[in-house]
Parts: sequence; structure tokens; C-alpha cells
Amino acid sequence: MKEIRELNLPDSVRYAETHEWAKPERDVVRVGISDYAQEQLGALTFVELPNLGDVLRRAEQFGVVESTKAVSEVFMPVGGEVMAVNADLVESPELINSDPYGAGWIIEVKPEHSEELKSLMKSAAYREMLEGLE
Amino acid sequence: MQEAHAEANKTPLYHWHLAHGANMVTFASWSMPLWYPSGAVAEHQINITNAGIFDTSHMSVVTIEGAGSFELLQPCFTKDLNACVGKDRAPLRPRQCVYGAYLNDEGWVIDDAIVYQIGLESYMTVVNAGMAAAITDHLKYYVQGSNVRITDLTGNVGKIDLQGPMSVKALMKVLQDPEKVLPDMAYFTFKGHFDAKSDTADTFLTDGTPILLSRTGYTGEFGVEIFVDRHHIVRIWELILLAGQDLGVLPCGLAARDSLRAGACLPLSHQDIGPWPFINHPWSFALPYNGEGTAFTKKFIGDRILAIREEAEHTYAFVGYDPRKVSIHDPAVVLDARGNEIGVVLTCVSDMAVARYDGRIYSMASPDKPENFKPRGLSCGFVKVKPRLVAGQEVHLKDSRREIKVMISNDIRPDRTSHCPMQQMMR
Repeated sequence: MKEIRELNLPDSVRYAETHEWAKPERDVVRVGISDYAQEQLGALTFVELPNLGDVLRRAEQFGVVESTKAVSEVFMPVGGEVMAVNADLVESPELINSDPYGAGWIIEVKPEHSEELKSLMKSAAYREMLEGLE
Repeated sequence: MQEAHAEANKTPLYHWHLAHGANMVTFASWSMPLWYPSGAVAEHQINITNAGIFDTSHMSVVTIEGAGSFELLQPCFTKDLNACVGKDRAPLRPRQCVYGAYLNDEGWVIDDAIVYQIGLESYMTVVNAGMAAAITDHLKYYVQGSNVRITDLTGNVGKIDLQGPMSVKALMKVLQDPEKVLPDMAYFTFKGHFDAKSDTADTFLTDGTPILLSRTGYTGEFGVEIFVDRHHIVRIWELILLAGQDLGVLPCGLAARDSLRAGACLPLSHQDIGPWPFINHPWSFALPYNGEGTAFTKKFIGDRILAIREEAEHTYAFVGYDPRKVSIHDPAVVLDARGNEIGVVLTCVSDMAVARYDGRIYSMASPDKPENFKPRGLSCGFVKVKPRLVAGQEVHLKDSRREIKVMISNDIRPDRTSHCPMQQMMR
């Protein structure tokens, strides 16, 4: 098990309390789960993705990530319309384990309220929160 | 997390597991690896394609020795020790072992176990983690006379399971005289002893360590279980891992152990079998049925299960259509085609070495698997239901989160290697 200090928590993304990350890319926000979340879940076996065009509020469930150990809901770090889903995860859910911030991204959202992104945690604050969970 | 582990029992490999990045979990009051950094899916699959090594020192060895040992075990254990080996139902002999269970008077399971015949009036039984005291008490309650010695070796004897088609190739590198020891070892036979002082201690590793080498396992795959004095465990573990490096051998945790055994249709004690009648389940081979399956060939404690089998519930294996699971802790229930609740889910895991193609299940080991086969995984496990069901029938499993469709099945992961001939696997 990785220690909190060993987790990869890049500064380039923002974090939700429910362990999703969000990263602005041009006019969309890309969303996935953090290194902490994938480490806790262990090897991923299945990902349930939303439909394109779904409009979901912040903190609303948008999918399910499932590992050998647990079935876990994932929640919108920012509200908006689902513009893209990572179809590679259907065949290869393990991408979330191997590259949680890259090839393991889950959805792209067109944010409704851009200030929601700013209210998410920066890397240092998220790491501090994780230390509090231990 | 660390504090919780401080309370738990530790195997001699505890610090090795931590040093190698294991995600630890408390299981039956033992702190055990759930998986290592390679992850539970890779650890599951390596047992199908190469080999995996498991620390199973949390399990318990109990010896039963002296005049009257047979007379004690025969009524306490579900297998008929006079008629249990092979199709001909030969009596159990030294260097052979059998799988069965210990039942109470009601026919409920206290624990499942393997009984090893070491010599004349000398046996050992291997029971689940934390169960040695209960089984020792049970045997002592039924013992007649004072010549039988029942000894709980929990913590003194360690066990390493080496499983998978390449397991014997790794073993051959660390075993003295492998060409002499191995070729005649059939499934459910064993050699040697973990106690150097035993008359039967004739099987050694290259470093001189005496082992009891058993051709058994809990994965459904070809392999061995190695019993050894606790003081040698860490050294032997590292010796085998080093020998298995170029064969791809990986250390594997309890998560892979659980998914492998479920895919192989093997029960987990206190989950798939437990305090209910041990009848109407996929493990009829653990009971002393006659050839017709109409009667038992011996009397034993709990044999009233036969008289109540018409009323008793039924346990079946199932397999799903994708890897999605329900949580048995939720709990999860079984629904029939009309949505009526008919039972409970005992085990639900994903076998990540299999997938369905055109309605048929293939494994990574299937010689005729489709080109570009991808083991996407299938949910599988056991349900306990009131009505009788047949293989091929579909039911739904439901927890608070989801409902999944699964098929009642006689078997789960195809093309398992557990019964492959030893000499074929040595080549």
C-alpha cells in the first residue's frame, strides 16, 4: 500500500472530497479518480459510464467504478453536460490503475458554472485531507 | 489501520508482506495480504497462465495420533475413510489425503478440512484459520479411551501454496531429487513431513529443509501446498520466489485466492457452507454417498442430513454475463423470473481469467479460445435458495445498488489444470 506521501497528486488538476479529479481543457473539464481512489479500490474490473448528453449537477452520481474488492459510485466534481466518455475503459478498466490522470480519464463535462471548478481542492489541500482520513 | 493489525495474529511472513507493498487485511483474526502491488487481477490471472505463491500460514494443522485415531476420525469426518480414494473407492492409505467436513449433530458445518493419513494410526487434519480450537474440542469430545493424542500445531507449522501450471517447474529447482519425488504424485497425495524427527520425513528442499509436500490447493489449478516448520517459512518463500522469477511466479493475496477458488467452484467455509444442513450443494464428493447417491456408506455425526434433504435448501454455483458483482454484505438476495425472493447470495466475486464469447465461457487457459481473447471477467459464486433449480436457469441477484442477471451453472472456469498429470506438467 502506498503511503499518503507516495501518492501521485499532480498540481495540474483539482480534487473533490469524494476523490474525483477535474482538469480544465479548452472548453471542457476532464474528470477521473485520484491515485488515492484507485489505490484504495485495487485492480479495476468494470466501469459504468454515463450517456453522452446527460446533464448532471455537481455531486450527482455519473457512473460506477468496480474493482475486485468494491463497487463505488463516482460523482460530478462540477455540474454540466457529459460531452465525452472514455470508451477505452469498457475494454480496459485497468487504465484507471495504471494511468489515473492520463489514459484512465473517465468523462469530459461542459461545465455549467465555471466557479465550481475553483471551489475544488488543490493538491496540497487534498493531500492534507487524505492525511486526516488515515 | 496499523492499530487494527496490532491486535491480529501475524504469520512469519508478515514483515515480508509489508516490505513488499501488500495491502493488508484482517481475515479470521489474522493480518494477511489482500493483494500486492501487481494487483488482484494480475494475481488471479498468473495462476491460470504461470504460477502464484500464497502465504497460507493462517490455516491450522491438527495431528491425531495413536491407537483409536481411525475410530475417532471415521465418525467425525464426512468422508468414509474406508472407501474414498478414486473411482474404486479404495480405503485411504498413507501419503493420501481427502477433502470433507466436520459436522455437528444437526448436520451443520463446523468446518471443512483435508484429512491426511501420515501412517498407521497417524493422521493430520488441516482446517481453516481460527478453527483449530473448535475442531480440537470437537474431536476431544468424541474421543474414546486415552490412547489418541490430538495436537493443535497452529502457529508452529507454516504453509505455502504454490499454484498454477508452472508451479512444479519452480518447485523442481528447489526440491532435492525432484525426478524421484514428483512423478508418481497424483492429485490428493503427499510426501514427507515438516518435522525432521518424523519417520516419514523423506522429502527435502535443496537446502535440507524437511517439507510435507501435498498435491492439493484452493485455486482449481495444478499445484502444491508446502507444509514446513514456521522457522523456515521466510527463507523458503524467498527461495521459491527466486526460483520462479523467470517463470513469472508472483506473490498473491487473499483477493486472488477468493476469486480463484470461486471460479473453481470451491466453497469458503463459514460463507458458502456453515451453520445449516450440509446437503443439496455442489460438493457431494465431500459426502460418503454410495454409487447410486441414495445412501451413505457409513454412519457419522451429522448424517441426519440425508433424512432432511427434501426440506433442506439448495446451494448452486452461478456465473454472470460481465464482471459486475453484488455485495453479499449488503445483503444480496436471489430473485426468480417473476421477481419473487427465493434465497440469498453466499459468494459473489469476479473470475478475471474468463469471458463469454457467443454464449460460451472460455478461460485464458482454453486451448480453443477465440483469437484476440480478452478475459473481461465474469461474476460468479454461490446462492442458497429454497426451490430446486437447474443448470442453465437464469435468476437475478439484487443488492441495494443494482440487480444483475446470472445463470445457475454446474461449473464456472473451464479448462482448469488441477487434475493435469504431474509428469506432463514437469516437462
